[in-house]
Amino acid sequence: MQSENGFYGQYGGSYIPEILYSSQQQILHAFEEAKNDPEFLAELNKQWQQFSGRPTPLTFCANLTEYFGGAQIYLKREDLNHSGAHKMNNVIGQGLLVKRMGKKRVIAETGAGQHGIATALVAARLGLECTIYMGAKDIERQYPNVFWMKQLGATVVPVTTGAQTLRDALDEALRDWSSSHEESHYLIGTSCGCAPFPEMVAYFQSVIGNEVREQSVAQFGQFPDRLYACVGGGSNACGLFLPFLDDKEVEMVGVEAGGKGLELGEHSIRLSHNLGQPGIAQGFATMFLQDSAGQLQETHSIAAGLDYVGVSPIIAHLAEIGRIKMTYAMDDEVIAACTLLLKKEGIIPALESSHALAGAFKDAPNLPKDSKIVINLSGRGDKDIFNVAKAVQDETFPQFLTDYLASYPTNHADHKEQNA
Amino acid sequence: MSQLATFIEEKRQQKPILSMTHVVYGYPSVEESLSWMERLMQEGVDFIEVQFPFSDPVADGPSIVAACHKALEQKLDVETCLSQLGKIAKNFPDSRIVLMSYLNPMYRFGLDKLAKRAAEENILGLILPDLPIEQAATYQAACKANNIDPVWLVTPVTPPDRLAMLAGQASGFLYCVARSGVTGHSVHENKSHEGKAKQTSLDDYLAQIKQHASAPMGVGFGLRERAQIEQLIGKADIAILGSALLDAYNKGGQEAGIKLIKDLFH
Ligand SMILES: Cc1ncc(COP(=O)(O)O)c(C=O)c1O
Repeated sequence: MQSENGFYGQYGGSYIPEILYSSQQQILHAFEEAKNDPEFLAELNKQWQQFSGRPTPLTFCANLTEYFGGAQIYLKREDLNHSGAHKMNNVIGQGLLVKRMGKKRVIAETGAGQHGIATALVAARLGLECTIYMGAKDIERQYPNVFWMKQLGATVVPVTTGAQTLRDALDEALRDWSSSHEESHYLIGTSCGCAPFPEMVAYFQSVIGNEVREQSVAQFGQFPDRLYACVGGGSNACGLFLPFLDDKEVEMVGVEAGGKGLELGEHSIRLSHNLGQPGIAQGFATMFLQDSAGQLQETHSIAAGLDYVGVSPIIAHLAEIGRIKMTYAMDDEVIAACTLLLKKEGIIPALESSHALAGAFKDAPNLPKDSKIVINLSGRGDKDIFNVAKAVQDETFPQFLTDYLASYPTNHADHKEQNA
Repeated sequence: MSQLATFIEEKRQQKPILSMTHVVYGYPSVEESLSWMERLMQEGVDFIEVQFPFSDPVADGPSIVAACHKALEQKLDVETCLSQLGKIAKNFPDSRIVLMSYLNPMYRFGLDKLAKRAAEENILGLILPDLPIEQAATYQAACKANNIDPVWLVTPVTPPDRLAMLAGQASGFLYCVARSGVTGHSVHENKSHEGKAKQTSLDDYLAQIKQHASAPMGVGFGLRERAQIEQLIGKADIAILGSALLDAYNKGGQEAGIKLIKDLFH
């Protein structure tokens, strides 16, 4: 979606410290040139295909459709991307742009670690130095992802300021960029931040919706009646929705994280029920969860990728003008939706994506039998093994962990001997 | 003419360089921060730059970030802050107060109201590092209507035409950021990825700004030593002391802070 000078209605813009002005302008121009350069686009498509496995399928879910007895349910399988999530689409695009700008290092923030891993993968492939900022609390909760980032050669910096989660990691990435802007690119993971990041990330993610346009016509002879996507920062939602923006008959539903309840701090609902307020922070204007004095607040979701305090200015604008309908799903509904997909369709969804499932499953029984809905399955759920095991109270998991620990070589002396 | 610029020019008749010392409002508590401001005023600093804390201060380094987060453990209120600062301003007519914050808390308070209330409390300058001049038309108008100054920042990597534009629009004083990065000892400093290309000397940088700026010039970011202050004499009007002062205060309280100021500005 084209912005007006970086703005989408009252949201977006570029509110960054003066020191970043030149770098921001450089990205703006590099992106503008790149997206009009057939060679860049050819390389982008090649990498999407050969590194990430695109196009991803559009999968019909016969069992779920029968189970709900309403709309015909299709999944857009972003879980089948390399690294297991849509994050790859953006990281490949920005990675190629970094090469084009001649920079040698990338900086990224990550919450759950999905964007961190995707960035580390592409950095390794493109020969870029890579620093990932991650809240110290998130590192504790998501260590397996940290492990892989390190194995991939990235430096993972624990952020110990504030609440030590995604928002703080983003602040710290911006601070790094302020001192390293000449050599480093800030590779933001979602369609947020200062212009042109929201537009650029949405552009790279739009491959999702563009494929769905072709696949839906090929598979069922029309565009979908409705689209569903979870909304964290908003990149997978932008990716699915934006290519259909001018097709007025296509409805769009964004699903935010209801978390544990609607008290401030328990959820991550920014765009409905008057829970978020307009604000300007972290480089852009959008709806933020904040107190009456304008201080940003804590958020919660069972899905680490959805607990961001702000949201894409593009989604904020489209929600405000009513083009996208916003709803939310609670933690327990998300687990139920995840479990249902596992049992009925043999697909393991990410907890983020399970929000989109939960939102769609609520509507599906009440929609006409000949209607078609497409749910963006933004990622696979392997990464959520610890959280899901806990949520379904798997009995054997604790024993597995105990046994694993018992057999884990912790003794330093042993370790040295092994290496010697 | 700008009240702030007039004040600076008059003071500069007596002193080769003026001091601006930074204090985080509410750190470690509101009382203690007010007492620290008064002490600084008593010691004769020319300005205090009071930072109203924000949860996500992206232009600041570790010392100031930690102080802001500590301060925000209490509920802080812009209106209360302004009236408390107004009292200090009244009690110390030989020095001036400028208010620094980030856009969001000030935007919530209302930028028009902020300009009006600041002027009423004799706070003559406002610094909002995340408000770019391109988005600032109404804020500039509000400042003008209340005869106070929005303070703009320029940096060593600001392109020449933009530098000319910012310097040309500056009133009150122009905040010249001395180097890339955030305030204070940055955790990102001294790493191999630091830019080396733009090694214009500070002298050349300030001379370049002076060509375009009719407003007085303040220099800040990374000042901690007497030699750095001496280097600014004759090239700038104000030396801004931020994180170094906070670090001294954290180590040895008000006394250590005052000692640092005396060492730097004797
Ligand atoms: C699988 C998955 N889906 C969704 C999201 C949310 O991000 P966005 O709203 O930008 O798509 C994340 C973020 O980490 C994710 O990993």
